[in-house]
Amino acid sequence: MTKPDDKELVRQVAGGDENAFLMLYDRYAAQVHALTLRILSDPMLAEEATQDTFLKLWSRARLYLAERGPVPVWLLTIARRTALDRLRLESRRPTLSTADDPDDLWRVIPDSKTTGEESRWRALYMAVQSLTPDHRQVIELAYYQGLSQSEIAETLGWPLGTVKTRMRAAMEQLRRVWGQP
Amino acid sequence: MQNDEHKIFEENIPAYSLGTLDAEETSALEIHLPTCASCRNELAACRQISDGLLMAAPPKAPPAALRQRLQRRLPSAQKTNRPPRNWSFDRLALGFAIIVLLALNLFSLSQMQSFRRQQAQLTHELQTSQTALAMLAYPGTQSLPISAANISGALLLDKDRSVAVLIIWDLPQLPDNRTYQAWLVDPQGNRTSAAMFDPDPDLPFTSVTIKSPNELSAFTSLGVTVEPAGGSRQPSGSRVFRIDF
Repeated sequence: MTKPDDKELVRQVAGGDENAFLMLYDRYAAQVHALTLRILSDPMLAEEATQDTFLKLWSRARLYLAERGPVPVWLLTIARRTALDRLRLESRRPTLSTADDPDDLWRVIPDSKTTGEESRWRALYMAVQSLTPDHRQVIELAYYQGLSQSEIAETLGWPLGTVKTRMRAAMEQLRRVWGQP
Repeated sequence: MQNDEHKIFEENIPAYSLGTLDAEETSALEIHLPTCASCRNELAACRQISDGLLMAAPPKAPPAALRQRLQRRLPSAQKTNRPPRNWSFDRLALGFAIIVLLALNLFSLSQMQSFRRQQAQLTHELQTSQTALAMLAYPGTQSLPISAANISGALLLDKDRSVAVLIIWDLPQLPDNRTYQAWLVDPQGNRTSAAMFDPDPDLPFTSVTIKSPNELSAFTSLGVTVEPAGGSRQPSGSRVFRIDF
């Protein structure tokens, strides 16, 4: 018996199917939790953000548009936004989003051609670890702390131009190392 | 000049794909993107990186209690997710149940009123029969026979006690829109309504208690006419019989 694919499960969740929800949870809870923990660096806050992410999956499954991309990317984008909003709340910084409009979420995530296997993500993780400390720092602050380039410049005491240059360089290196064009 | 602008936009694409570009530059780039295929291709390539970064953290399972906690919270979360048709079905079922209950209540009420009418009628008939029996046993009671074709019976009259009961045998049934009405007639010929009645189809005789606003001694006779259902203020129909006191 073949397992139902992610999109079918999301469709069932939209119809109120609790078992489908739990199947998606079992598939992606570890990835969601890893991302929220990476962003929040606090087990309790990360657990709450993970819970909030899956409650959003439950209540907003009907808003998922399959043509916009794979389910895990959609789910992890929600997780990232949820964790970053919590991070900003804890540090009294303005939140990134207030409405959590899925279309708005999709504006910052990849297109539908981007699918991934675990080995590819692991390779990307290793690629990030292999960046120089300066390059890795701007990626970490931008993607996992939600800081804008100006905020990064202010935080690190670098000129804004330096932040932009290092961010471009870091991205180009990731593309090279990760084997992307 | 255009190349310089393009270069600025292109340099901002990595930050844009990571969602970290400042607001003003983001707005400018989003205006530029639809007009520049090169920048769109660059963005697609960068987005593969940002996509991958979502997945790049090594998986780490949350505490097992979280799964159970989520399960407990699902029913309340489901309220906002439930398809509207469930509400419609619930409402329809509730509406149907209310209609059925109302119909049953109305039917029960109608039945109860019918039973009460029957009970009142039976009580009245019983009282009339008991009065008639008591009068037959009373020495001062007059028994005035009815003189009419195909109808027999008598008026039991006690003027002293102002009590009278009319017993009629073989009184024909009337249509639904007609009723029998008894009239007391005084010496001046004035008629006073004394009773309205219909024969009981299950009994061969009809007994009627005559009610008088005054002493029965003030009247000289009793007549019975056929009147419209509900009775008349004065006799208007054909006379069935008359008994002189």
